[in-house]
Amino acid sequence: MRRFRTVSVVVFIIYLAAALVLALMFRAAGYWRADTAPQAAPFLGGGTARTHAWQRFHFRAYTMTLVFIAFEMEMMFMYPWAVVFVEEGVKAMAEMGMFLAILSIGILYGWREGIFAWE
Amino acid sequence: MGVNLVSLARRAPVSVYPCIGPEMLPAVEALWQARGIRLSATPRDAEILLVAGEIPDDARPALDRVHDQVPPPRAVHHWAGDGDPHDALVALRDRLARGEGLSPDRQPDEPPNEWRGKGDNGQGGKGMMGGVPYGRPMAMTDDDLRDGLALDAYSAQFGPFAPMLPPGLVLDLTLQGDVIVKAAVAAPPFPQPPEASRPAACAARLLRLLGLDGPAARVAAGRSPNAFFAVRAVPAGLGAAAPGADIRSRLRGWLADEPGTYQAPDPAQMLPGLEWHEAVLTLASYTPDALRLACLAAAEGRAA
Repeated sequence: MRRFRTVSVVVFIIYLAAALVLALMFRAAGYWRADTAPQAAPFLGGGTARTHAWQRFHFRAYTMTLVFIAFEMEMMFMYPWAVVFVEEGVKAMAEMGMFLAILSIGILYGWREGIFAWE
Repeated sequence: MGVNLVSLARRAPVSVYPCIGPEMLPAVEALWQARGIRLSATPRDAEILLVAGEIPDDARPALDRVHDQVPPPRAVHHWAGDGDPHDALVALRDRLARGEGLSPDRQPDEPPNEWRGKGDNGQGGKGMMGGVPYGRPMAMTDDDLRDGLALDAYSAQFGPFAPMLPPGLVLDLTLQGDVIVKAAVAAPPFPQPPEASRPAACAARLLRLLGLDGPAARVAAGRSPNAFFAVRAVPAGLGAAAPGADIRSRLRGWLADEPGTYQAPDPAQMLPGLEWHEAVLTLASYTPDALRLACLAAAEGRAA
């Protein structure tokens, strides 16, 4: 037990030293980098920006991501369900059928609302 | 071993960012086929700034900005379009490796605009809105063309040395995300010789924008693109100036070596409503000549 504790302390110190060395190296690299104001400007082919680029814009793919999550959740439930199905049989089958039916209604609703039309 | 490494490094192609002046587009585009030279898409990716031809005075500040965006150690090569610049570029890179011929920053190391914000962290005004941190306003909400969800609009000038736009063209754009909502032409493209408007040259330019460098090189060399999917890489119906006259049909015509008598519309009218990639493809689907004429005619129409 004592030996284990010594080893873990040594490993901890090695990790700490490595992290410190890495951090100092990155810091030094930051000093050497020629990060002047003209270099920090956005590249617009010689043009200049009139407004800052910090802005909110419409993330149009978000309905797609919601559909993706719906399908993904379905798959996530199906893996543990497969184990239960071996034990329970038809009962588990019916339960999964109900779950899938509810999910499909959601997808059909989304379809009617036009979420699959890419714009 | 050290000597070998140096000679190995010298064998790598010289990466240059081209700033293309008037009458120089065909000469610079010929460099796509040149051995030992790589035209980079951004100054960050370049070792040497290639200034091709005489840059007009009103484009000089833009040239200085692009120059300063090539990371040091950098060098500048002025090229008048005569002969193969490869040897000169390699010699220049060798000098760079020895720490000679460095081109220092042309702009002062200061923010482009003066700080006029109120907050400690650059916020300037209230929350994300308002204020002028570093003398530049924060993006404000603007109407959206597509669904009326008013979010922030970004406005900036693009060009004259943007790799995806015709050289010399300066566009004043306001974007909502990637959709152009307002467009104005601040400067027309530079005049280019007739070779730049050859069907093969135009087709190669469009294919290069699509990322099809191999077919583009074959078309530029006067051969078949050998890529049946090339035309289909452009979305159908995009950039339709008239029924049946979209980008696909123009590209198909160029690939069949037909110059086409396409008159370009005024970019300020043509671009709003298009996404960035659509706008770039639409601009490249007209010959540089036609685009320049359209910009000049629109400017004349505004002056009259």
